[in-house]
Amino acid sequence: MLMLAKAALGLSAMAAAASAYVFHEGVIRVDVEERRDAGSQVHFWVPATVVSTGMHFMPKERIRHTADKVRPYLPVLREVSKELQKYPEAELLDVTSGSDRVRIAMRGGKLWIDAVSEDGDVVHVSVPAEVLRDVADQLESQAPGV
Amino acid sequence: MTYFRGFLGRTLVVTLVAGSSLSGAALAQGQASQPGSKSDQWIHVRVESKEDHGETVRVNVPMEMAVKVLPAIHQDRLHDGKVRIEGHHMEDVDCQAILDAVRTSRDGEYVTVQSNTNDVRVAKKGEYLYIHVTDKDSGKRSAAKDGKQGANSAAARESKVEVKVPMKVVDALFSAGKDELDVLAALRALSAHGDTELVTVKDDQNTVRIWVDSKNIAD
Repeated sequence: MLMLAKAALGLSAMAAAASAYVFHEGVIRVDVEERRDAGSQVHFWVPATVVSTGMHFMPKERIRHTADKVRPYLPVLREVSKELQKYPEAELLDVTSGSDRVRIAMRGGKLWIDAVSEDGDVVHVSVPAEVLRDVADQLESQAPGV
Repeated sequence: MTYFRGFLGRTLVVTLVAGSSLSGAALAQGQASQPGSKSDQWIHVRVESKEDHGETVRVNVPMEMAVKVLPAIHQDRLHDGKVRIEGHHMEDVDCQAILDAVRTSRDGEYVTVQSNTNDVRVAKKGEYLYIHVTDKDSGKRSAAKDGKQGANSAAARESKVEVKVPMKVVDALFSAGKDELDVLAALRALSAHGDTELVTVKDDQNTVRIWVDSKNIAD
């Protein structure tokens, strides 16, 4: 009985440690709602670690191809992502035109992009700034000469 | 009981260490982000338009971010934080000589142009260079469009541009040479200068404001 309790405790500790690791970089959240007939509704949450760790397992050729395509923007992406981490709470952009609204802000260390259209379509994206930096770093390492 | 006491002791130590390091970090952050400290400057742009449905644009950019990101942008005439202005008839103008003359001159109005269509005023006062432009034509056009006549109606609709730039920023902007504007150096000079109102554009439909302060939101 004691052995079973110890095993259960060990498993729980492992599960807790695994969860802590998976979620330590936060969560990427994407919500898309189209307010029309047969409009798409997309809602997903992905642990940010999946993206940064997943890039290590992507085919090198594919990453190199992507890095080549975005090469001119990589230095900007690197600097912006690095700087964004210094401003965990900040309103960066707010555009309102009639009922259309686009907001870009940093909240709780995440970059939030919210767009609401006149028709009621809604797009919300939130990405931890750390992930942007990881992606920029990894793409840069595959695009020598940037 | 002994085991429990040991566990309690370790927990207490860990809590104290974590607490003290967190409060230390918070204190350090608080000191780093004191309002008014020049490293915490923000550039704000606000555009308000009454046309159509009404549009508002608010942009808030940390000065430090602008200074770091600008050299990374290489697009058209912008490279390494400098903008090439060749081909804009600058060959015949010695900007440095003009700036030197303005810097060493006493405060006063240097250029005053008054015409039926525009008023332009360039002046130096203290450490600032002022440029004021009034577009009278836009006021007349706007009043005529709405079927209103009279000098008062047109004057109320004139488009006014007011630019107030610290002289040090102007110096930095033209420090790169004849064919280039050193925007990066100008940003650094602006950041060292402190809170300031840079540009105001007003007409009866639109308002544009560009200013620098230590708040991370536009008021």
